[in-house]
This record gives sequence, structure tokens and C-alpha cells, in this order.
Amino acid sequence: MFRLMLATALAALPLAASAQEITVGAANMAAYLDPGRDHSNVGSQFYYNSFDTLIDRDHTKLAPEWEPALATSWELIEPTIMELKLRENVKFHNGDAMTADDVIFSLNRMMQATFPPYVVRAKDRLANFPMAEKVDEHTIRIRANREEPLWETLISLQQVMIIPEAYTKALTGDPLVAEDSDFEAFALAPVGTGPYRIETFQPGESLVWERFDNFWGDKAPLERVNVVQISETASRLTALKTGEADIITNIAPDQLSLIDKDKNLKTAGSATALFHVMIMNQNHPKLEDPRIRQAMSLAIDRDALNEALWLGKGVVPSTHTMAEMGALHQPDLVTFEYDPERAKALLKEAGYDGFEITFDTAPSYYTNGLLAAQAIMEMWAAVGLNGKVVVGDKWTGNSPDLMARNWSNPMYFADPFGSFGVMWAPDGPSQSEGRFNTDADYAQKWERFRYSTDLEERKVAYAELMERVKENPAVLPLYRPFESWGMKNAINWAPMPGHIPYVLDFRAGSITLTDS
Amino acid sequence: MVQLADPIMRLSKRKANQTNFIQKTAIAIAILLFASAFFAPLIVPFDPLDQSLLSRLRPPLGFERFAVGHWAGTDELGRDVLSRALHGMRLTLSLAFAGAVIGLLIGGTLGLIAGLRQGWAEDAIMSLVDMQIAIPFTLVALLILSLMGSSLTVLVMVLGIAGWEQYARIVRAEVRRLSALPFIEAAWTAGAGPIYIAWRHVLPNLISPLVVQFTLALSNIVILESTLSFLGLGVQPPQPSLGSMVGLGRDYMPTAPWIVLVPAALIMALTFSVQILGDWLRDRADVRLRDR
Repeated sequence: MFRLMLATALAALPLAASAQEITVGAANMAAYLDPGRDHSNVGSQFYYNSFDTLIDRDHTKLAPEWEPALATSWELIEPTIMELKLRENVKFHNGDAMTADDVIFSLNRMMQATFPPYVVRAKDRLANFPMAEKVDEHTIRIRANREEPLWETLISLQQVMIIPEAYTKALTGDPLVAEDSDFEAFALAPVGTGPYRIETFQPGESLVWERFDNFWGDKAPLERVNVVQISETASRLTALKTGEADIITNIAPDQLSLIDKDKNLKTAGSATALFHVMIMNQNHPKLEDPRIRQAMSLAIDRDALNEALWLGKGVVPSTHTMAEMGALHQPDLVTFEYDPERAKALLKEAGYDGFEITFDTAPSYYTNGLLAAQAIMEMWAAVGLNGKVVVGDKWTGNSPDLMARNWSNPMYFADPFGSFGVMWAPDGPSQSEGRFNTDADYAQKWERFRYSTDLEERKVAYAELMERVKENPAVLPLYRPFESWGMKNAINWAPMPGHIPYVLDFRAGSITLTDS
Repeated sequence: MVQLADPIMRLSKRKANQTNFIQKTAIAIAILLFASAFFAPLIVPFDPLDQSLLSRLRPPLGFERFAVGHWAGTDELGRDVLSRALHGMRLTLSLAFAGAVIGLLIGGTLGLIAGLRQGWAEDAIMSLVDMQIAIPFTLVALLILSLMGSSLTVLVMVLGIAGWEQYARIVRAEVRRLSALPFIEAAWTAGAGPIYIAWRHVLPNLISPLVVQFTLALSNIVILESTLSFLGLGVQPPQPSLGSMVGLGRDYMPTAPWIVLVPAALIMALTFSVQILGDWLRDRADVRLRDR
């Protein structure tokens, strides 16, 4: 009888505060919020609720189906010029009406970037777009340098979400000029057009979203969302169990049983569109021989890692590809394999003398990252490689002393360019950091892959790039991690296949509360 | 009228001359733990670094899904928790011994100089002692390890400077007390130098309080090492220490608590038994208590 009463009482537990208010316990909170400069796995959780792009997509579907957002229609008036009609009566969270000038300002802050963080982001994904220009109060044009095979894809990026011009310029200094300090200030007091306005933001600690009643689209289903950083997994689980949080993020598969056993709680998860990868420094003096790096890669039994750390729920790729890439998904390519005997033979050929190879990892940034690093050391040892895990929070990917480390290659947009491409382009982030080399042949293959409007040609060129990666490896995708969220039964929410990784989409149609 | 014995004498005699049950138990635990740590490579069932990825998070004996041979269960990489805990205790104790010895050498030397030389040298050394006491040392340790990295060498040095000031205070006080005694004055009068006096007459009289302080410092250093490793700044994976096992296992507290409970229990048993051992040695060494 007592158990029945207890069960009834627990089932009737209210959400953290009220019917339209929830609390999210997040493993990480961003240090700043600016969709233009950010492309981190942490930041990507937060932008979609508060900002809009010109073109959106149906996020319930894996294959892109483009939908109007702040642009109501668009067409290519020339192969290198897209014209977009802007939605009318759109308001920013600060009350300003959105104008064509705001849109041009937002796009050109990236396409003609001078603020260094924007320059980096623009270079790795928007380099084909020299500028946007205003045609009239409700029409703009975006120009491309070359014929662009990914128009809608790139115009729907997080980095080209729309922000208010006058508000941003007035944040510091001259209110008529966009200064670097304005963008720095914006990142701490962000304003967009999305269904939730950011009421308070404490960098690295918490964020509060409040329903924006003047949103141009369907009304936000929640009145208020509190996001608080709870770094420790055990603390997040406790917060969910005690009712302190209604949703918690980043739960490793081996912790799910604890939630699933509780009849008042449930989990939702997916193999996130992101690879946890191992990167290797091609330019480290001791790793210059590609056979050593091939052996480092061939020694790793990724299926065993997936089975052990992700309970087999992750996805181990044969090449750098994902189903989200649609026609360019090429699972038949075999770039990365497990072959310890071949690894041993390569080490012998290369005259490996047992020198120590360090593997850097952050202690907790990637779910299971430290565990995978330790397991990889055992796998290396099995083929004769002398590995050592070095734990630290500092990013070492730009250090000449880097030998190997973990990293992630998220799918920033649904195309091989949006995952492998962003990270491993000629003069891209990996090459700029000095651990990856390209040459004329690589660049030529890259050009065909990036810009050909012939789909088959892009596929062939991508396969050729993967062959180059196989010959002279700098990266090994380990797996697509199976990331899970825990939540109360009263919440109906799950990650959607059309989003980039980790997006907490609380827009209309994406979340409902049973008792609301 | 019944004559009652002097209550202080009764208490003192029991403390000094009789080893009570708690002390006996603690000494037995300390001997067992030290022996287990020392002989860990010979007695543990598995290599502490050997992983078995498909046998992760197996519970200890007596629970469902127990994996044969892994009496205290397995950790998040399928490593034997008992083997790691005993090897971890071995490393923790080695670091604590090294740290305590360094602290003894630094503190003892400075205390001796302060006691013998007095004057400005004593003032300078005792100012350093006061500074060390005033600053929370865990914060200093965190700062040093953050700046200099978490190698074992740096860790040992940090542990070494953790408690030197206690040795310095004890040695200085003892030296000053001894200096006033007739046999030291006689040595000075006979023309003996300070090094001869320190070596021949002072040091032998310091051994007893230093042994006691060493034992007490040991348990404090065990806790400091465990704290630093728990915070990820001490012993680095995959090498186990008791603190790092607790630190890395804390995410599994709700689902696999044995990963944390086994090393945590060892930390508790170790510090408790060593602390009692220190108290016991102090009582035995205190002539005022012993001679009553």
C-alpha cells in the first residue's frame, strides 16, 4: 500500500517549477554566445532557440527539406547570385524590427569579416561568398565567387544567423561603427529573432530562456527554460532523480540503466552526427614516416571500443562519412581498418625503436574520451607501440610537440564538406595549426570535391581524398558516439535527425509537456 | 577511607604502558596494509593495467554478474579493482614516504639551523614557517601542479614541502631546549664546533620526536596525495593511486560504487591506522608519560 502511494506521489511529481518551465542540467555551458564565431559542441546546444537563419530545414527528417525562415523565398538569378525575399514584421528580442540592413550586416560580418574569430569561421566554410547586398527593404542578394553546389546548405548555417545591426554597433564605442569590442560585448548579451529570448546568461554557469511573445513563427511551447551547468555525470543523474533538473545532457550508455530503471524517468538518444577522432601530427619529427601513423591507426580496434564504451550503440565508420550526407554518403569506401598484424609489420618496416608516443586528452570534455584514450594505449601496446596518455584541459592541437590526441569532427552541415571538409581543407584549421600537410594534388582533388556541381564528380573526388588520408593519415574517426539525454516522463523531447549535434531544440513541435 | 590512585597517573599509565584494543587493531591494520602494499606485485590476481573491455563494471563477489577472480569487481575499463587498489596504495604510500622524507630533511635541517644559530637566521626561518602555516597548502599545491605539470617528480616535491614546517618547529624547539642543558654547555666549553655538537649531541635526542612527527605527517600526505589525484592533478591515468581511483570512479558512483568504495576504504583505513600508530608512538616516546 505504501509503495503504491509512493509510486502515485512520484508519478505526480511536478516539473522543476511549473507546467511551462523546465530546468536543464547541462554537462557544459558556453563561455560566450555568438552563433557567428562559435562552432563548438557546447555552444551548438543553445543557438537554435534564440536565433534564426534565412533558410531553415525540416529537422525531423534526415534528408534536407528546405523551409522558409527569415527569407520567405529564394532563387538563383544567376549561377553565382541568390536573391532572397525577406519576411516582414519580424522583431528582435530587444524590440527592434528586422530590416534588410540587419540581414546584410549579419551576413557581411562573416563574409567580409575583420573580427578575428569571424575571419576563422568564414574562411573554413563561407569562403565562396564575398558579400551580401541589399536590393530593397525586403530583398537581398548573396554573391558567390564560383558556382556553388551547396547554396541552401550554407545559407542555413548557424554562423549566418541574423543579429541586429544597431543594437550590436551601439554596445560599445561609436554606435555607428561595428568594432571588435561590439562583437565581444554581443557574445555576452546576445539578441536574436528566435522563439526564446536570452533573459540571463552567466558564461560557463547558466542560461535562462524566456518565451519571446513577438516571435514571427509558432509560439514557443515553454514559458521559461533554465539551463545550469552540472559538470559531473553523477551530479546530473542525482539532479534528475531528485527533481532539481527536468532534462539532463550527455549521459554515457553505461549510466542509462540507472535512469531507465526509474519508472518516472526516461532517456532519449542517438548516434550523434559527429565523430570522435584521433588526430596525429604529420609534422612531428618522430611521426614523419606515415607507416608509424598508419600503424597507430591500424592498431585500434574501434568495434571493441564501441562495444565496450557505447554498448555497441555508436557507429564505427569505414571512412569519414555519415548517412546525413545523403547522396554523398559513401559507406562502401574502406579508409580505416583494424589490422594489428599489418600494424606490426609496418612498425618493423619503419624501424620503430619503441619511442614513447603521447596521446593527449582532456579529462572530461568528450564523453568516454579518457576511457577510450586508455583503451587505445592497450591496443597500441599489443602491436608494440609505446603509448602514454597525457591528461590536460589545454588544447594541444596547435602545438609542434603534439603527437596524437583526441578531438571531434562534428557535422557542421549535412555534406562531407561540413564534416571532413571544414577540418581538413587545404589551409583549413588542421593545416593552419601545423599538424597536417596538403599539396597541389590534394588541393586539386579538394577543388573538384568542393565545387563540382556534378554529384558523381564530387563523390569520386572525395573518394580520392580519402585515399590520400589512408596513405598519409592525420586522422582516424573512432566512432559516432551514442549521446543520451535523461528526462522526466512528462517531457516529450528527443534529438532530431536534421539538426547538427547537441542542439537543444525547444521550438514548437519539438517539445511538449504531458501536463501542459 | 579508601585511597584512590592519582587519576592522571592511572590515565597516563594506561596510555603509555598499555596498548589498548583500538591501538592493537590499528597497528595490525597498518601492518597488514603496509605488507599488502609492499608485496602487491606478488599477491594481486591481475596486472593493474590489464584491461578487459568486455568485462567492464562487474560487481564484487556476492553480486549478480560477478566475474570470477575479480573479488572486488572491475572498473570502467574492465581492470581488476582489487589489483589496482593494492598497487594504488603502494604508489600512494611510496609517494607519501618520499614526501615525508623530503619534508623531514628540509624541515629538520632548517629547524636545526634556527635552533643552533638563532639571530637573523632563526627569524628568517621561523618567518617562512609562519608563512607556510598561514597559507592553505592545498591551494599552493594546486597552483604548482597546474603550472609545472603533474609528473611524479613534481608531485613528490610538492608533497615534500607540504609539512616541512612542522619538523622545523619541533626541531628548533628541541634544539633550544637541549642547548640549555649542561652537557651541551660542557661541549661548547670544551671547544666543540656546532656541526659536531649537532651531530653528536643534538640529533640523537631528536630521533624520538621526529619519528612521531614522521608518522603523523605520513597520514596527512596520504590525504594530500589522494586529494590532488582526485582532482586530476596528481597521479595520471592509467597508473592507479588511491586518490585517482576515487576521482576517476566518481562518475560511476550511482552505477558501480565499488570502484570508489574500495580505494576510499583503503584511504580511510590507512590514515586512521597510521594516525593511531603515530599517537601510540608519541605516547611511548613521551618520557613524562612513560616514567610515571
